[in-house]
Formats: sequence, C-alpha cells, structure tokens
Amino acid sequence: MKIRFIWEFARFYGITALRRATIYSIAIMALPLTLLFVFYIISKGALLPYAIAGGMIAIVAGNALTIASDAAFFRLELRMQDLLVATQIGQTEYMLGMALGDLIFSLPGIAVYLVLGFAFHIFTAYSLALTAVILLFLALSTAALAFTLSSFVAHVRNVWGITTILSIGLTTLPPIFYPYTLLPNYVLWIFAISPATLAAMLAQGAYGLSPVSVNAAIALVAETVLLFAASLKFARWREL
Amino acid sequence: MIEIRGIRKTYPDGTEALRGVSHRFSEHVTCILGRNGAGKTTLIRILSTQLLPTSGAAVVNGYDVVSQPGRVRGIISSIPQEAKPSGIATPMEHCMMYLSARGMGLSEAERESRRALKALDLTEVMDKPADELSGGTKRKLFVAMALASRAEIIFLDEPTTGLDPISRLEVWSAIKKLKSQVILTTHYMEEAKVLSDEVVLVEGGRIITHGTVAQLLAPFKGKVRIEGDGGRYRLGGLSFSYVDKAKAKRFVGKNVTIKPVDLEDIFVTRGIKVED
Ligand SMILES: Nc1ncnc2c1ncn2[C@@H]1O[C@H](COP(=O)(O)OP(=O)(O)OP(=O)(O)O)[C@@H](O)[C@H]1O
Ligand SMILES: [Mg+2]
Repeated sequence: MKIRFIWEFARFYGITALRRATIYSIAIMALPLTLLFVFYIISKGALLPYAIAGGMIAIVAGNALTIASDAAFFRLELRMQDLLVATQIGQTEYMLGMALGDLIFSLPGIAVYLVLGFAFHIFTAYSLALTAVILLFLALSTAALAFTLSSFVAHVRNVWGITTILSIGLTTLPPIFYPYTLLPNYVLWIFAISPATLAAMLAQGAYGLSPVSVNAAIALVAETVLLFAASLKFARWREL
Repeated sequence: MIEIRGIRKTYPDGTEALRGVSHRFSEHVTCILGRNGAGKTTLIRILSTQLLPTSGAAVVNGYDVVSQPGRVRGIISSIPQEAKPSGIATPMEHCMMYLSARGMGLSEAERESRRALKALDLTEVMDKPADELSGGTKRKLFVAMALASRAEIIFLDEPTTGLDPISRLEVWSAIKKLKSQVILTTHYMEEAKVLSDEVVLVEGGRIITHGTVAQLLAPFKGKVRIEGDGGRYRLGGLSFSYVDKAKAKRFVGKNVTIKPVDLEDIFVTRGIKVED
C-alpha cells in the first residue's frame, strides 16, 4: 500500500479542486442547503435538525459519487488510468486517493453545517464524534461503489450522466433529509442499498431525532466491506 | 532487454490490432513507425502492462508482462499517446503525483521534477494550472514526467506530436541524454533518424521490417525517387519508382518529380528490395 501516493493523489485531485474549482464545492452544497431552507419554512423549523444532520451526509456522499464520473473521465479522456496502471500503485491506492481527495473537497461544506449545527444547538460531543466515524465509512463505501460503477462507463459521452443519476437515487430520494421512520420498513431497506441511507439512520439516532438502529450500524460496516471487495473484483484496472 | 514472441491482440469488438509480432528490441532507442492504425499503440500498451495481449509472450528485463506485471511496472515509465493533463493541476503537481506513484521519495521527486521541467523549458509554467497551457506544452509536460521518472525503460507514444520545432529539439536532446532504454513511436521521419538505434516498421498488426536507419536505407543506395511516372510502387494515389541517380537524367523535363530517397520510402517499399 503506497500511503504517500494516496496523499499525493488526494492533493492532486481534491486540494487543487478546492483551490481552483471552488465553484463545485459551492455547487455540491447548493442542493442540501436549498432543501434545508425549504424544510425549515414548511416545517416551521421542526425538520431543521434532520436537514442539518442530513446535509453533511448528502455532501460527503455526493462528493464521493463524483468519483463515478471523474474516474471514468480520467480513464477514457485523460488516459490517467493508463498512466498510473504502468506504475507500482494498484486500483486500491488510486481509489483511496480519490476518496480522500473528495473528502477533503467536502470540508467547506462540512464546515458550513458545523456552524449551523452549533448555531441551532443540535450537537453533543457524542453525536459529533459519531458523525465523524459515520462520514468516514460513508466516504469509503460510496467511493468504492462509485469507482466500481465508473468501470462500466464505456464512452466519454456518458460520463457526466452517471453521477447525476446516482446522486438523486442515492442521496436525494432516501431518508436523509426526513425521518427514516416515515418510510415503511421494506422501502427503507431498499434505500439501504445506498450507504447514505444507513449513515442518515445512524445520524438521526445519534442526534436523538429517531430511534437508534443497531442494524443500520452493522449494515453500514458490512456494506463498506462488501463494496470495497466488489471494487477489487469488478472495477477494471488493466484493460482486457 | 525486451523481447516479444507471437504477440496477438484482438480487441473485444473483434478488431485484430496485432497479428503475431515477434521481436527483440535494441538496448537503447527504438522508434516504432507505422501508418495510423498499424498497431503501434497497442504494442506499447501491452509492453507497458496496461493492456493484456490475446496471446503470445512479452518479456521486459526478464519479467513477463502478463504474469509479473508488478515487476515490470517497477522499472518502466509509459506515457500514453492521448494523455491529457488535469486542467486544475499544475505541471509540478502532475510530476509529484506521478513520481509518488512510481515510489520516488518526496525530495528526490521534487528535484527530478524541476530538472525535467527545466530540460523542456517548462520552468516558467510549472505552477500554472494545466488548462492555461498550450496544446504542445501539455504534451511536453508528459514527456517531462517520463524523464523525471528515471525509469530503466521509458515508453513514449508519439512524444512530439504537436510540438514546435524548438520544443522537438529539446525533447530529442533530453532523450539522447537518457541512460534509459527508450521505445517511442513517431510519425516524424526526422525524429526516427535523429534518435533511433533501431527502427521497427509496423503495418497491419505485423512488424514488416526493422533495422538501423542505415540498414533500412541500404536498398535505396545510390537511388532517387521518381514520383508520378507510373512506376511499380503505389501509395496514396501516387506512383513511384526508384532509379539509379545516373539514370535519373532521362526523367528531366518529363512531368515527374525527382526526390532524394528518405526514410519514408521504407513505407512505400515496406523494406522489400528495391528494383528499378
Ligand atoms: N480499444 C480499442 N477497441 C477496439 N479497437 C481498437 C482499440 N484501440 C485500438 N483499436 C484498433 O486497433 C488498431 C490498431 O490501433 P493502434 O491504436 O494500436 O494504432 P496506432 O498504430 O497506434 O495508430 P496511430 O498512429 O493512429 O496512433 C486500429 O484498427 C484501431 O482502430
Ligand atoms: Mg497510436
């Protein structure tokens, strides 16, 4: 495992984007903040804690999902994957570099939500610590999912569509901005295909908004391991 | 040493890009020439462990590219033909990222990056985001990355496409100074003449001839090319023949062009013995 490469790639991919393509960092915040505003108005403030807890999740998952497009673009258009395949790093380092880069890219968004969370007094030391752990698992599992899916994009012309579809299906639809208890059980577990759903269930539990779900914790860890294994098995590195 | 035996590549869509190529590459600089679609990039990608061959064997310094890719990757640097930089990262950032993938330490990577960027006159733009660089400068950046790698074996797929004449000279001079074995593809005959110890001509997925520039030009010794005379060689709608310089006089005044023979003529005759 080339740890230094993971860091260098995160810099190359995440920090440079933060410095020079700041607009995307704002763009990725736009939807969660809009939803937060709408929920605040409609629910007269009642759903605000959900929107704050969910916003961080949406940002981290949304950024990790851009790997589906970015990795495909890097492979097909920039030929970056070819460049790196012929070095000593493997797909795990490459994927982790992207995951870390996107996590760094999420930091301004997370900061905005931290400010909101403190302003509205929804955090405790316990919930904050748990949030950090949840976000880490979320970033890893979503990155693995996105990277694996990126392998199946065969043409540059299809590159940008994939993240849009994924982010609606995996971060907007699931119970991230609203109580997961509103959903019938079977629908909830369909949405649990998205790591963001599990992360939101855990966060809602941690903030005392919904019942604590031990199953969600087990499922998130299991899903992270499975998605990681799937990326090793199904994501293409060397071309056939 | 790089040796290939019976390499075939059929892409998943059925395209036969390589139809059984065998060769032992020269120890220093090899230029692979060939028309568009001949199979040059396919061959380089197989040797660089980026693409699996359909059958056949390729051995790079004793390591098999199919079964020991990790070993091969430790000693090579390979620049794809169509590599493009990430627009938001600078040349220096590209070099640092690439060299860390090759396992080079931080301070060495910084030193080698600066040196390579300087050799190609990129010092001034090394901290500029790549989307502000010109097309040729972007290309040079990738050559610089390969130079900075100090790999034992360097593959360059069309390193000088789109480069201005001065930049091309810079790249040539940098390649000549390398101690590494270099395998490059090019469409510039001048480049092949200046750089190569060996030229390999690929056509239709096969190596049809190879040798030093002098060897490849030997069949044309003392001859000139007569273009447009209805001769026996044909390419792109033009007919050619090769005649002894002494006999060229009889063509003067006719509606033909008389030209000195050059490396591109091996495309016309495909390395076959030239006849009048
Ligand atoms: N990924 C691919 N899938 C299917 N066919 C391919 C693929 N890549 C290349 N080919 C085909 O394989 C053949 C050889 O292509 P290759 O890129 O090796 O040629 P080349 O000699 O490098 O050409 P050029 O000088 O234009 O770069 C061509 O017919 C090309 O269309
Ligand atoms: Mg090519």
